[in-house]
Amino acid sequence: MNGWLLAAAVLLVAGLAPVLWTMAVGEPRTRLVAQNLSTVLACPVFLLAAQGFGRPSYTDLALVLAMLGPAGTLVYARFLGVLPRSRVVLGTAWTVVPATVLPLCVVAGPGRAMAKLLVIGVLVVAGNTVTSAGTDRHG
Amino acid sequence: MDEVLIAIAVVLVAAAATAAVFHRDPLRQSMVLSLLGLFLALLYTFVQAPDVALSQLAVGSAVTPLMILLTVRKVKRGPRSGSEDR
Amino acid sequence: MSRPVRLWVFLVGAVLVAALYAWACFDLPSFGGDHHPYGDRAVRTALAQHTANAVSSVNFDQRAFDTLGEQTILFAAVLGTVVLLRQVRGERRTDPTPAPVADRVRWFGVLMLPVALVVGFYVVAHGPLSPGGGFQGGIVLATALHLLYIAADYRALERIRPVGLYEVGDAVGEAAYVVTGLAAVLAGSAFLANVVPHGTFNTLSSGGTVAVLNIAVGMEVACGIIVLLARFLDQAVEIEETAEETGAR
Repeated sequence: MNGWLLAAAVLLVAGLAPVLWTMAVGEPRTRLVAQNLSTVLACPVFLLAAQGFGRPSYTDLALVLAMLGPAGTLVYARFLGVLPRSRVVLGTAWTVVPATVLPLCVVAGPGRAMAKLLVIGVLVVAGNTVTSAGTDRHG
Repeated sequence: MDEVLIAIAVVLVAAAATAAVFHRDPLRQSMVLSLLGLFLALLYTFVQAPDVALSQLAVGSAVTPLMILLTVRKVKRGPRSGSEDR
Repeated sequence: MSRPVRLWVFLVGAVLVAALYAWACFDLPSFGGDHHPYGDRAVRTALAQHTANAVSSVNFDQRAFDTLGEQTILFAAVLGTVVLLRQVRGERRTDPTPAPVADRVRWFGVLMLPVALVVGFYVVAHGPLSPGGGFQGGIVLATALHLLYIAADYRALERIRPVGLYEVGDAVGEAAYVVTGLAAVLAGSAFLANVVPHGTFNTLSSGGTVAVLNIAVGMEVACGIIVLLARFLDQAVEIEETAEETGAR
C-alpha cells in the first residue's frame, strides 16, 4: 500500500468531490471559489502521484497547473466582474500545499528535484493568495 | 492502489460530464467543463499518460474558457455602442 | 423533414452505430494484458534514437509525417478563424475603455509573465526528455502572454502583441517543420527522417530532429494561439456593428 497514492486518493475524495458538488449547485460567486479551490487541490494530487508512481517527471504537470490555475480563475473573475474573497482557498493553499511539498522535499533530498518542488509550492501559494484575497469590484 | 485511483478519477469524470450536460447557461457550463478538464487530466495521469494530461491542462485551464467567455460576451453585447474593455 | 422523422432517422443511425461499435469492442485485445507488440517496438526504437520521451519519439521521429498533418490542422483552423472574425463592412472599431483592476492582481500579472514564459520555454525544450513538448509548451507560452489581458487590461496586452509579427511567426513555425523534413531529403534520406546526430541520451540536445521539430511546433502553436485569441478579443472588445447593418437584419 503506497502512502503517497493513498494521500492522493484522500485528497480526491475529500476535496475534489465536494468541489464538484458545489460547482454544480452553487451560485456564481461560490462557483468561482470552487473553481479556484479545484486547482489548489489538484496540484498536490499531481505531486503525490509523481512520488507514488515513482516518476519524478510528473511534477511538470503540477508546475504547469500552478501557472495556469490562477490564470483560469482570473479569466472567470474578469467575466463575472467580481473576484470574491475566499478564506477556504487561502487556508487550503497555506496548509495542504506545504503539507504536501515539505515531506516530498525531504524524500527527494537536496538537489534539482527539491528546488523544483519548492518552486511549484511557492507558485501555487502565491498565485492563490492573490486570487483568494479578492476585490469586490471587477479585478 | 492504482486501480482505486483510476476508479475514483473515472467516477469524478462521469459525474462532472453529467453535471455539464445539465447546465444550459454558457457561463456556468464553461466552469463545469473546466472542472471536467481537470478531472480528465487527473485520469490521464493515473493511467500513466502524462503527455496527454499536460495537453489537457494547458488547453482546458485558460485558453478554452477565454474563448468561450469572449464569444458569450460578443453574442450578448449585440450591436450596442459604447464598448467597454471587459 | 419534420421532427418525428428526424428523430427516427437519428435512432436508426444510432442503433446501427451502437451495434457496430459493440461488435468491434469484442474484438479488441483484452485490457491491461502483457502483450503490447507495437508499444515494445516503439519504445525500443525511441531508446535506439536516444530519445528519453518515447511519446515525443513517436510524434516527431517515427510518425513525424502525422504530426505535420496535425500541425497543419491547427494552422488551417487559425487561418479559418482569422478569415471569419475579420472586420467587415458594417463593423467599426472602437477604443476599449480600460477596466478597473485591483493593483494586487495587476502586479501579479506583470510578475507572473516572465515566470510563465520561462515555464513555457522549459516545457518546449524538454519535449524529448520529459512529458511535454512543442504543443503543450506552445499553449503555455500563449497563455503567459495573455496573463497581461487577464490580470491587467487590453491596452497592456496590445503593447506586447503586434499581431502581424505573430502571424509571421506562425507561418515560420509551420514552414520550419516542412523545411526540416526537406533537409532530410537533401541529406539523402526520406522526408522527415532523423538524420541529425542523436546526441547523448537524456540531455537537452538528444534525439536529433526531435528537438528541432519540437521547437518548430512550439513556435507554430504559440503564435497560432496568440493570433486566434487576438481575433476573438478584437471581436469581443473592439469591433461592433454599426447601426445601419442591424436595421437590415
